[in-house]
Amino acid sequence: MPMIGLNLAKYSWQLGIFLIFFIFIIPIAFVISSLFGEYNENWNHLIDYVLANYVLNSLLLIFGVSILSLIFGVGSAWLITNYEFINKYWLEWALILPLAVPPYILAYTFTGLFDTFGSANELLRFFFNSNDDFSFFPNVRNIFGAIIVFSFTLYPYIYLTARMAFINQSRTLIEAGRILGLENNSIFFKLAIPMARPAIIAGLALVIMETLSDFGAVEHFAVPTFTIGIYRTWFGMYDLNTAMQLASLLLIFISFFLILERIERRKLSYSYASSTFKTVKKHKLKGYKNLLAFLFCFTPLFIGFLVPMMEISNWAINYTSENFFSDIFLKSFINTVILGILAGIICTLFAFFFNFLKRFETGSYLKGISFLLSMGYSIPGLVLAVGIIQFFSLLDNNFLSSCLNLILTGSIVGLLLAYIIKSYALANNSIESGYERINYAIDDVSLSLKVSKFKIFFQVHVPLLKTSILTSLLLVISEVIKELPATLILRPFNFDTLAVTTYIYAAEERMFEAATPAIMIVLIGLVPIFFLSRIIRESRPGKT
Amino acid sequence: MSEKVILSINKLSFGYSKERELLKNLNLNLNEGEILGVLGASGIGKSSLLRIIVGLEVPKTGEVFYQEKLLNKKNYVLPTQKRNIGLVVQEKALFPHLNVLENVKFGLVGSRRKKNDQAMKYLNLLQADKFAKLMPNKLSGGEQQRVAIARALAPEPKLLLMDEPFSSLDADLRKALRSDTRDLFKETKTSCIIVTHDFEDADKFCDVVSKLEEGQIKYL
Repeated sequence: MPMIGLNLAKYSWQLGIFLIFFIFIIPIAFVISSLFGEYNENWNHLIDYVLANYVLNSLLLIFGVSILSLIFGVGSAWLITNYEFINKYWLEWALILPLAVPPYILAYTFTGLFDTFGSANELLRFFFNSNDDFSFFPNVRNIFGAIIVFSFTLYPYIYLTARMAFINQSRTLIEAGRILGLENNSIFFKLAIPMARPAIIAGLALVIMETLSDFGAVEHFAVPTFTIGIYRTWFGMYDLNTAMQLASLLLIFISFFLILERIERRKLSYSYASSTFKTVKKHKLKGYKNLLAFLFCFTPLFIGFLVPMMEISNWAINYTSENFFSDIFLKSFINTVILGILAGIICTLFAFFFNFLKRFETGSYLKGISFLLSMGYSIPGLVLAVGIIQFFSLLDNNFLSSCLNLILTGSIVGLLLAYIIKSYALANNSIESGYERINYAIDDVSLSLKVSKFKIFFQVHVPLLKTSILTSLLLVISEVIKELPATLILRPFNFDTLAVTTYIYAAEERMFEAATPAIMIVLIGLVPIFFLSRIIRESRPGKT
Repeated sequence: MSEKVILSINKLSFGYSKERELLKNLNLNLNEGEILGVLGASGIGKSSLLRIIVGLEVPKTGEVFYQEKLLNKKNYVLPTQKRNIGLVVQEKALFPHLNVLENVKFGLVGSRRKKNDQAMKYLNLLQADKFAKLMPNKLSGGEQQRVAIARALAPEPKLLLMDEPFSSLDADLRKALRSDTRDLFKETKTSCIIVTHDFEDADKFCDVVSKLEEGQIKYL
């Protein structure tokens, strides 16, 4: 709503906004600017020998992950929305549980299970009395293993967006299709899928961005992708400049999917039915179809959540339960929780600040800035870490260490900055959607009652947005807890988090020890997921 | 009725785009204690006129005087919260997290007891005191609108703007609320501009009825 009053306070708000914007944007600007700098012999080496391999592996990975996660994401969303079958009611929300499992934890579980001396092979050898070196499963430490791991941890992004789209498809449209002679299969392929296409592509773009950003799983499976290339160039060749140039290429690659996601999301509002909405009538499945539908939905849940949970619980409880009280675990746990809460509070405050100003300020610059800040989630942690290190080195070398005797590089500030840039979108989405539910007339009337904007903020907006604030905090905390590459690089010396501790143990093949922090990451990640599933259930149009 | 002018608008122009100007050189005078009805079709600029008076929109040109004070100058517009002009909207806009009494107290200042007494006075006058402790979602549309009017009147503004306040109510409720509200305005000597598309509302509720046409006020 337009508001008024040209005064100093207004300019100081604007200054604050631009300051936040520049702090967010500078690390990325550093990375991108490397493209216009000098290219050394390491770059030539990358071009001549390994870059093609990184590109090919990344493309193969996203191709395989896209196919598999589309099948399970869209398929399960369609079945859950349109059919009644056994155990459907708990599967409806349980299908998003794999979101709590970071791909690198599933990767560790997979090798712990399916390697030659993994638990699954040991068990089968015991039953079949086979040779000690006989393996019942193919090697999972390759690109195919990585495809399975990413697909079964990331398909919920597609499940969520596709399910929302299917829920919003009116029965009237489906019935119109039937009247025009379409069979069940044709209704799915010719009507439901085209209508849900923007939502499905938006979900798929998220899956692809997450896949390209990952470091932990591909590193564990030894699949050389872009992120591995950046890491190796930086820490193997000690060449930060070439690492930044490689990171810029990854950023350009990811931008394509980010733009695609944004375009498709914009189309979503046109594909939803509104005034003529009738909820879809569910068909009850019987016999083998009933069982098949259950198995189809249960499979991704089993592989993406139950298998890793059972395995890491087994390791943590039966082999290393005392680790829950070890110094390493407790310190990492406390560090992680403190970082998560700090990042959660800062992100939520920023999101609140922007959305509150958007309510009262004219001009599209605020929307533009908020949109740009929200793009941070698509930037791989590793790329962010490169940019932040470069930015902080510049500050330290030129101002802080000489003038203030302060060094930012290797401090907790860099880590927090990376978390905030990566998680701001989560906080903003929660607060923005909360604000969308508050009628502007409430602000107008409040102002006419002679109350200040300060009072409106604290006595109207904050109480009305309690759920959004909580959701925002939980989502950011769970994202921070899972974040691995940025933490690995930016953490202060001798400062470990749960993700880093898991990674270090897993890298040393000490899977039992890795289980304790891993299980905690998953358990904390489950909290926002329960909230999310409740929100989805309540978002159905026509719900009484 | 006093002839003293409380609100005066001179040569006001406003539009959301350059191509479509809603208000063109609009002039309007409102006397103290007077109730003015503004009729007009949807989208003609009735609500925009109220939003300009209360300070939620900035006019392109023109002047708005309230109690002889100029509300808008070049590069400066007096903020809504400093105008002391009440607003009632069709959506009621009650705060859903506050009960009825807390809603009415929201814009009041002073001691807790003073705020309570003032809020109860207006709830009483609008016969809404019996739901003082209820939450807004427990009230009917008519009851909610009574509370919204009580809330707008409680800070005792000299001018109240009402945007389609009766449009969502059924015929009997509408008649009763219209009559109660008019009596209260006369008792408290509150001036009022009500915009509506319903001629009966304007005719029964207002002292003067006008029509917004081609961006200007035409008295009927």
